[in-house]
Amino acid sequence: MPVIMTEGAFARPGTSLDFKTGTWRSERPVHKHATAPCHKVCPAGEDQQAWLAKLQENHPAEAWARLVMMNPMPAVSGRVCPHPCESACNRGHYDEAIAIHGLERWLGDEAIRQNWAYPVEKGPMRPGHVAVVGAGPAGLSAAYHLRRRRYKVTLFDSQPEAGGLLRSAIPPTRLPRDVLDREIERILATGIDFRPRVALGRDVVLEELSRDFDAVFLGIGAGRSRHWDVDGAVPADLREGLGLLREWLAVGAVPTPNAVVIHGGGNTAVDLARVMKRAGVAEVHVITASGLPGPDTDPDDVLNVVPRELEQAMEEGVVFHPHRTIQRLIMRGSKVVGVEMVRLKKLPNAKGRKSRIAFEGTETVLHVDMVIPAIGEVVDPDGVEALLGTHDYFTADPWGRIADHERVFVGGDARDWTRDFPGGTVSAAIGDGRRAAEGIDAAFQRLTPRLESRPDIPFETLNLHYYESAPRLRLPVLPLDQRNDSAEIEGGPSAGDALAEAGRCLSCGNCLACDNCWTLCPDSAVIKTVETASDGSHYVFDYDYCKGCGLCAAECPCGFIGMIAEP
Amino acid sequence: MTDSVHDLRARQPRFSGLEAGHRACQGCGEALGARLVTEAAGPDVILANATGCLEVFSTAWPQSAWRVPWIHSVFANAAAVASGVESALKAQGRRTKVIAQGGDGGTFDIGFQALSGMLERMHNVLYVCYDNEAYMNTGIQRSSSTPHAARTTTSPPGRERMGKRHLKKDLLSIIAAHHIPYAASASVAYPQDLRRKVRRAMEIEGPTFLLVHSPCPLGWGHDGSHTIAIARLAVQSGLFPLVELERGEVASVMPVRKAVPVADYLKGQGRFAHLFVEGDPRAREEREHLQALADYNIERYGLAGEGTDPYDTDGADTVRRGGSARI
Amino acid sequence: MRDALEGSQAIARAVGMCRPGVVAAYPITPQTHIVENISKLVADGALHCELVSVESEFSAASVVLGAAAAGSRAYTASSSQGILLMAEVVYDIAGMRLPVVMTCANRAVSAPINIWNDHQDSMAVRDSGWIQIHCTDNQQAVDTTIQAFRIAQDLDLPVMVCVDGFVLTHTLETLDMPDQETVDRYLPEPAFARRLDSANPLSMGTLVGPDYFTEIRHVQHRASCRALDVIAAADRDWQALTGRASGGLLTVDGDPDAKIGVLAMGSVVSTFREAMETLPGGKKAKLINLRTFRPFPAQALIDACAGLRHLVVVDRSLSPGLGGILATEVKAALADGPKMPKIHAVALGLGGRDVPMEAWTRLVALAKDAPEPFHILDLDPAKLDPADL
Repeated sequence: MPVIMTEGAFARPGTSLDFKTGTWRSERPVHKHATAPCHKVCPAGEDQQAWLAKLQENHPAEAWARLVMMNPMPAVSGRVCPHPCESACNRGHYDEAIAIHGLERWLGDEAIRQNWAYPVEKGPMRPGHVAVVGAGPAGLSAAYHLRRRRYKVTLFDSQPEAGGLLRSAIPPTRLPRDVLDREIERILATGIDFRPRVALGRDVVLEELSRDFDAVFLGIGAGRSRHWDVDGAVPADLREGLGLLREWLAVGAVPTPNAVVIHGGGNTAVDLARVMKRAGVAEVHVITASGLPGPDTDPDDVLNVVPRELEQAMEEGVVFHPHRTIQRLIMRGSKVVGVEMVRLKKLPNAKGRKSRIAFEGTETVLHVDMVIPAIGEVVDPDGVEALLGTHDYFTADPWGRIADHERVFVGGDARDWTRDFPGGTVSAAIGDGRRAAEGIDAAFQRLTPRLESRPDIPFETLNLHYYESAPRLRLPVLPLDQRNDSAEIEGGPSAGDALAEAGRCLSCGNCLACDNCWTLCPDSAVIKTVETASDGSHYVFDYDYCKGCGLCAAECPCGFIGMIAEP
Repeated sequence: MTDSVHDLRARQPRFSGLEAGHRACQGCGEALGARLVTEAAGPDVILANATGCLEVFSTAWPQSAWRVPWIHSVFANAAAVASGVESALKAQGRRTKVIAQGGDGGTFDIGFQALSGMLERMHNVLYVCYDNEAYMNTGIQRSSSTPHAARTTTSPPGRERMGKRHLKKDLLSIIAAHHIPYAASASVAYPQDLRRKVRRAMEIEGPTFLLVHSPCPLGWGHDGSHTIAIARLAVQSGLFPLVELERGEVASVMPVRKAVPVADYLKGQGRFAHLFVEGDPRAREEREHLQALADYNIERYGLAGEGTDPYDTDGADTVRRGGSARI
Repeated sequence: MRDALEGSQAIARAVGMCRPGVVAAYPITPQTHIVENISKLVADGALHCELVSVESEFSAASVVLGAAAAGSRAYTASSSQGILLMAEVVYDIAGMRLPVVMTCANRAVSAPINIWNDHQDSMAVRDSGWIQIHCTDNQQAVDTTIQAFRIAQDLDLPVMVCVDGFVLTHTLETLDMPDQETVDRYLPEPAFARRLDSANPLSMGTLVGPDYFTEIRHVQHRASCRALDVIAAADRDWQALTGRASGGLLTVDGDPDAKIGVLAMGSVVSTFREAMETLPGGKKAKLINLRTFRPFPAQALIDACAGLRHLVVVDRSLSPGLGGILATEVKAALADGPKMPKIHAVALGLGGRDVPMEAWTRLVALAKDAPEPFHILDLDPAKLDPADL
């Protein structure tokens, strides 16, 4: 259309839209959907940032629903998980990390209190019946995630009650039994066929399950203590840690020597140490090859213990000897009278792999009358001998698939650790169960399962100008003199405190809907959408006009916006 | 895709008087400032614009980026044209608010007399100056608003000179001396504060004045993505204090509880690069001079803050999910 | 109703009857009395308008620019240095096609500073795009002022009513002031289609690049040319209402068959009319009063000059190095006619030098004996260094 000269050359409003300034651009802004560090490190695969966002919107039920998309047991994991999410939390570099575990347990407790329904797909069951062996965290998670996907699940356990290690090895001071019972009960009530008192090897064999079911998931844990000796020496009266802890949980009694060394760096070691301390053992030492949490300790070299449990144990008088191992048992006859410790550290060798190096000349002696190994357990081969062979654990891919066994999946403590998927925690078992369910679902549908792949969001990419410093939520802790064998030591937050704490989340890598990009674009090239845009944010870039200045990316508080080169 | 974005644009939940498609440089502080001002002012305004970047980049005939009635006459007369428009509206009994706007050239310098006249005659006009501290439209020549020691094409550093010899004109004090109801300084780095000041001025019957610090990436020598960061540092260092004056008296200030060194502000900008030449004693001297000027502002306006306002340069624009913490 | 009024007072009253919404002006001799009289009308409540007492002529022009753009009838008045100080805006008003009316109380331009009458000031902005109409007496000043508002509104072009400073502005004259009803009947309500309005937010004063600048200039030129008909029609309509014509584009007095003509603008025309009537041999030449200087009425001039052998063109301004501005334009216009008379260019009455009736005789005589292509008629050689002769 020809342009017709107007009187005095007046122009009509907004006609500059005919001029597409987007052609000036050499870089374009994009929404990154980066992985918040909490999510990245979560063994259960939770997206904490996502459910914290729902809490920030004051929608606790939606937050819980988002949480249990990945982890059906927030009331449990909020109490027992060592929460690597909090160690990774970017807010920790700013003031203090978000108290994610406290909010997780609050949501879990609220869901129980208000009986929020698990988000299980509606509709008829799909073809495919899965046998899940072991009703610990891995098995419960697998059963739940299969049920969510509308598969029929039969869950077997050798014990009369579901819970596995949660019930047999975690003290009620950390995990009250009513919480455990209620959460498990609610999971089973989603429609899981639970068969207690059925032991693999004794009551049923793997071949039978493989024949009767379309797939089998083994969440059988590691029920046999790992062999322990020091240069071949073993005390005659050796008791291992997990066994003692289970015995204490079952009958309420532990040995009470004058001084004890517990050798190991996991929750079993710390739980047992605290139990023995409370039972009256004067000196309780924990010797561990790992380090205590701190700025000088590599994250992969830290004690695999809930950090606050470690603090409480120290408060209670347990003595820790980090970065040490037992080099020699000092025996009188077949009885232990002391141990010789030596300092060590995990250092990279010539091939770059880390191995433990002991430092000669750092030997010290502890006089004790009992040594308890708590260095972990291996799979009990009963019923799975053929599948396990000579290994301690099953080797599996991220979906729990065992090579050459198409319809057998494994997860939890029975699975061997890998670099990307270390194990040894409840959360890791929950994550294993979920991925196995995805693997089984994919197998049934003849699809290829995929791992989530999103970029990281380093602290430096946040724009902290837009946040205000605020102290972390403090959860109530039972005073030392009121602690006993049953009362839960750490309490939960109030609703108000929980919501306020959620408000501290920086929303790393994901849209905060703060309007900054929309407000600060000089070119009106950021459009706000009333409904959520297809990518979950509230904004779209109008590339017809975006000149690629990068202001939105620079001023996005949460690093949600990045600049990429134009093709 | 284009169509759906176009539809979304038509349904934006807030009014914007400056539409996309204008020809401002990447990261232009003035374009941002003008957009924020029109957002806060709303659609029922008439703008009178001085000649300058804003006029040039927004109205290349047959197109216009404005969604409000807008008039440009010449460089020096925005305030007088606004006076005329306002007088006509008064004569016709129309209630539309008039906003005059210009850069620092059109305000501190060539349009200064017309502005003073407009204020003295008490026209019901909000005058907004987008202060980018030099004549950017003609290619970065010094203005009376250019900071001391800054490089421009007419105040280049050299063997005999360290950039601009004179000081930045204290326009706000001169404006305040007109005893008008409201005058304030704002910055594009603090959009909530800026919009609040615009709304405040819009409610007042009578002349009001807003000085908006608006970085010019090209003229100041910084990347377009740093516009907000640079503007923020100007405020946080005390070099560009954000104050509100009522009838010439300081009514409130944005506190600078922890001032950042002026050097942090200077070093991100090419126009001050000569102040960071190693081994030139003059460089240090001028940096100290600018620091002293910032310290003077902090003392003069009491920016260190004894008030109860919890919001300072760090807290003024905090965000929360779903928008700003402070509207 | 006949009144004895000072020119400025009469103009102020005429402006008032046109019901301007906004008046803005900065005082300058000899325009001062106009502004003062309007101020008094406003102060007395006889005129309801926004009177903006600006701080400079530059702002005066800017205020009426803004007011006209916002849809109000807008008026200003200035003179000499004031016209030059507002020159930038004068051009802008025309380019933006705004219907502003301005009285130019014509005065010489510095340096040397001189407050008295000639036409240098309006000549300095003759290419600005304004319509320029000259008045021979105060009756015409009144009538032309009223017509100017109608012309401006019809064309969306600004009109400058040129009134000789002091000679007219400060002279008491008996004249017919129209009544308000007549003016109301004559003038339409102000209606500016492009007015600044948030219900129809147009952008005015845009940047026009090389792709379109030529076209906008062409359109402006065409509108200005169209003004010839509109000016003539406005005068006819005014005559129909009041019985008084103001001279349309130009008027011719005297013997239509005369071979000698004298062309002039402004108050000297009145002087020469009287001289024609009263001086011996005064009727030897005819007198052409060029009322409308912009747009330049070339065809009307060609028609008026038909049969002339000599045309003496009187300039009351000077283009140093060229000579008479008006003469140059007249010569150029007549070059397109069928037969061009011999043009004799003279200037007189610069900087307020009195133009006596006797000047008419000398002008007519020039047709026979023009000493040089251009000369200043009332130059006094006795006051010059011989080297400057």
